[in-house]
Amino acid sequence: MIGLVLRGLSTRKLRSALTAIAILLGVTMISGTLVLTDQIDRAFVQIFQQGNSKINVVVKQKPPFKDPQTEVFLNAELVTTVRAADGVWLAEPFIQVQGYVIVDGEAMDQTGGAPSFVFSSVSEQLNPYSPIDGRLPTASGEIAIAKEIATKSKAKVGQAVTLATQDGIKPVKIVGIVQYGDGSTSLGGSTTVLAPLIDVQNWWSLQGKASYIYAKAKDGVSDDELKANVRAALPQTDVIVQTGKEDADEQASVLNDLIGKIIRYALLAFAGVAVLVGAFIIYNTFSITVAQRTREFAMLRTIGASRRQILGTVVGEAFIIGSVASIIGIGLGMVFAWGLNKLFGVIGFGLPATGLILSWQTVAVSLAVGVGITVLASIFPALRATKIAPIAALREGVTLPVGRFQKLTPALAIVIAVLGAAGMVFGLISDADTTSRLLTLAGGAILIFVAVAMLARFIVRPVVGVLAVPITKVAGGVGKLASENAARNPARTAVTAAALMIGIGLVVFVTIFVGGLRESFTGAIDNSLKSDVTVTARGFGGSLPAGVLDAVRAVPGVETASPVGGTAAQVDGQSFALIGVDPKTITDVYAFDWNDGSNEAVQSLGTDRALVENAIATTLKLATGDSFKVQAISGASATFTVAGTYTDPTILNGFVVDQAALEPLLQSNATGLNTVFVTETPDSNPDTVQAAVDEALKGYPTAQVQSNAQQKEEVASSVNTILVIFYALLALSVMISLFGIVNTLVLSIFERTREIGMLRSVGTTRRQLRAMIRWEAVITSIIGGVLGVILGIMFGWAVCKGLESEGLSFVFPTVQIVIFLVLSIVAGIVAAILPARRAAKLDVLEALQYE
Amino acid sequence: MSTEITSTPFAVAADAVVVATDLTKIYGEGDSEVRALDGVSVSFPKGQLAAVMGPSGSGKSTLMHILAGLDHPTSGSVLVDGTELAGLNDQKLTLLRRDKIGFVFQFFNLLPMLTAKENIELPMKIAGSPPDPEWQATLVEATGLSTRMTHKPAELSGGQQQRVAVARALLSKPAVIFGDEPTGNLDSKTSSEVLALLRRAVDEFGQTVIMVTHDASAAAIADRTLFLRDGKIVRDAGHLSAGEILDTIKTLE
Repeated sequence: MIGLVLRGLSTRKLRSALTAIAILLGVTMISGTLVLTDQIDRAFVQIFQQGNSKINVVVKQKPPFKDPQTEVFLNAELVTTVRAADGVWLAEPFIQVQGYVIVDGEAMDQTGGAPSFVFSSVSEQLNPYSPIDGRLPTASGEIAIAKEIATKSKAKVGQAVTLATQDGIKPVKIVGIVQYGDGSTSLGGSTTVLAPLIDVQNWWSLQGKASYIYAKAKDGVSDDELKANVRAALPQTDVIVQTGKEDADEQASVLNDLIGKIIRYALLAFAGVAVLVGAFIIYNTFSITVAQRTREFAMLRTIGASRRQILGTVVGEAFIIGSVASIIGIGLGMVFAWGLNKLFGVIGFGLPATGLILSWQTVAVSLAVGVGITVLASIFPALRATKIAPIAALREGVTLPVGRFQKLTPALAIVIAVLGAAGMVFGLISDADTTSRLLTLAGGAILIFVAVAMLARFIVRPVVGVLAVPITKVAGGVGKLASENAARNPARTAVTAAALMIGIGLVVFVTIFVGGLRESFTGAIDNSLKSDVTVTARGFGGSLPAGVLDAVRAVPGVETASPVGGTAAQVDGQSFALIGVDPKTITDVYAFDWNDGSNEAVQSLGTDRALVENAIATTLKLATGDSFKVQAISGASATFTVAGTYTDPTILNGFVVDQAALEPLLQSNATGLNTVFVTETPDSNPDTVQAAVDEALKGYPTAQVQSNAQQKEEVASSVNTILVIFYALLALSVMISLFGIVNTLVLSIFERTREIGMLRSVGTTRRQLRAMIRWEAVITSIIGGVLGVILGIMFGWAVCKGLESEGLSFVFPTVQIVIFLVLSIVAGIVAAILPARRAAKLDVLEALQYE
Repeated sequence: MSTEITSTPFAVAADAVVVATDLTKIYGEGDSEVRALDGVSVSFPKGQLAAVMGPSGSGKSTLMHILAGLDHPTSGSVLVDGTELAGLNDQKLTLLRRDKIGFVFQFFNLLPMLTAKENIELPMKIAGSPPDPEWQATLVEATGLSTRMTHKPAELSGGQQQRVAVARALLSKPAVIFGDEPTGNLDSKTSSEVLALLRRAVDEFGQTVIMVTHDASAAAIADRTLFLRDGKIVRDAGHLSAGEILDTIKTLE
């Protein structure tokens, strides 16, 4: 039987290839994603292990809870204790902060998401960086720069440059150019500057602090021994002692959680969509080929093939197609990963360079999904093939019997739709954790897609009936024929269209969703901000130097400059922002949207009262008058009483307290200032004031001055980037569905060979024939496009409504929808090219004699 | 040598391969009821080539379908090589067809992607038992297509394809071969090649063949000719010439 399957596949090469492509692209994406993220994962491990290769033991602060955006520091004086521990040969404090060097007026900072680091320079015996020119910085005012910066800026050893620090721009001199480890890996796209410890401490308000204490063992002392000795020497419970390797692995895994995993799950989600679309196409292709092979199966049954053997023939075919497609997909996945890697580099988010890794897990997952989905999608068609009675071999014009399953389709589809809707509602409103909510939401959406695909056959005829009118007007008799062909087998047209529906539906959905995100932000700026100019800290988690506020206040034309600061904090084990405001001025620059409370409540905050954002209050079941305990990342904690609740999921999203109450909860290096909202006097021009503030803050490189319009633009541009990425990823699914249209057309032309011969013999021109096929494709793609748009709008609306409390608002994307519909028509035309050409090429005589 | 049996009691030959008793097949109900078979009893002894004739709608195809286990009678019984078909489930019927029945179809029904040789071997492959090589060689020789065995059906003429189909039916040495208009899709020259092969299957290889046909010249090679009309056997004759057959058909219409 296997031989038979193989022979069948090789005879139907084009069909087999088109079917394989449907699943191949999805597998490519899965394996590509896994290869890429394995690479990212390994790169992080390699980088941190190289960084710690000279270090035996690391001592660091243990934060009360983990916040990936906040660096924590420990008392640098602990180094004396560490040095005194048995087996320690060398121990030094080390600090890492964010900052960058400015060469000839040009900032050498990261443009992508990766941070720009300043590291304190430790001795050569501990330092992962080594000079390739000059030396390591030792005296105050000296720095060394990574070779990547030197290449980019053409800065030389001995050159005087400036360093952007939290405390302003400092003049420094380059004394060395360094490389990381053996120079084979780079730290992502990051730009690193080394400076003496004392400068880093002074310029980043970290006097007496260190990020880590590094220790090196005497000869013959193992890492674990040294770790035990240091641990014994340090009675403090709030410090962690790890070996260099443990620390490297932990840092790698933290970074991987932050970057690698997000990339992995996001890409896998889109790969999943591609696979789902592929499954529809495989299902359809197998349904069609099984119908076309009815006589063949019947003959096999009469000469003694059992039902099981027929099932085996069809499923075996699926198995082979799935296997071949998966293997090719894995290979293409490597190319895909390589391409994405290059792409990341181009958009300024360079990933650490290591080779491509094809792990056995990648191969196993790709094969399991590729083969599994193909086989699964072929099961229903295969079961129908087993229902073919042997007697069909002896009769003319037999058609596939209608299965029991088929008669139940509408009922089943409705059950599936209800389940899907329930899943979506649960995903939107339940208070389970985010992962399970997202999964149920996605599962619900998939079920609804499936249900609509099952029901779509019932709308094919009416829709084609409507479309036939304009099409016949435009294309004449050929259009009429095309309409009839499209309606001839509604199930086939429906499933083909459904594959496109998924892609278009998701495109519409992300358009609405991302548009909602943008709207929520711009809406918040429009509704909540009374100020026209905002000063923020550049880079994530940054604080502004305290001097910024006074500098802004001194600018002529500035009426109010209201400071806002904050820290990461936890309440009831959940992380939130604790926001400190100036009660006297905040209501001049910011309009609270009160649920319970008033601006008077702000004035009377004092040191023990807090305002709570409404969604958070709901989550934590807090109402005015309730008390709650806040644990700040600094280790300090405080108790507050709720003085009011307000709604703002965007700007002041967290707990609002008086600056004075925030102060004791901050880490020593934090200034309690990260934003200044600025209003101008009635007689001054906002643009002039903004320019003046900008000028006044020249000395503070981390301060960023923006008008409200600029803030909105920044959000719009990052939102557009996200949209473009989403579109690109969904384009793959749309492409797969185009293969589906091609496949269905090729198959239906094949079975209508004689009919096409007849049409040609009675005077249909090749051009008309091509037009007919094209219109068939367009009808299919319009059905898919319209269904997709409807579902996309429904999903978008549901999700926006469900997340209203998080600030998402529903905006109807009229222009985009028109564009998408036009694009789906174009897609249909493109998909028809190959099948139309094949149909037109058929020799009239041969076609007429075709059996 | 012809005998009218419509009035004689039904007697089963001792070496009968296929025995049908009192078969009826009714389609539809009430006013629209159609009796495709109306109390047919007939038996076919081993080593006989029988032709079943009759006008369209006489029930001859239905009879063959039921005898071959492809369709179920409304009532009556069928024994194939001693096995009662009534009550067999799909699996058992499949095995019966595989092991005891061969088929020759009007439209050949060869698989286009397999060579002639592979098509011949197909039923044995499905059954998972190796063909007897000597027997296979004999059959291939009998088809006269020894040199064309590596060709695909599309490269063979209709008559050649049908000879391959006959060889396919014979390879497993079934108890009986059913032919469904085996010459219905062939011209007279190629028909005679196929008929000669069927004749040889019976004479030399001792096979039993029951074929439904419209074609008087095909029926003329048979040892026995059955005529059906309105679901009943109206004449059960021995060997008839083409002329005699045509005469009988005229009286039936």
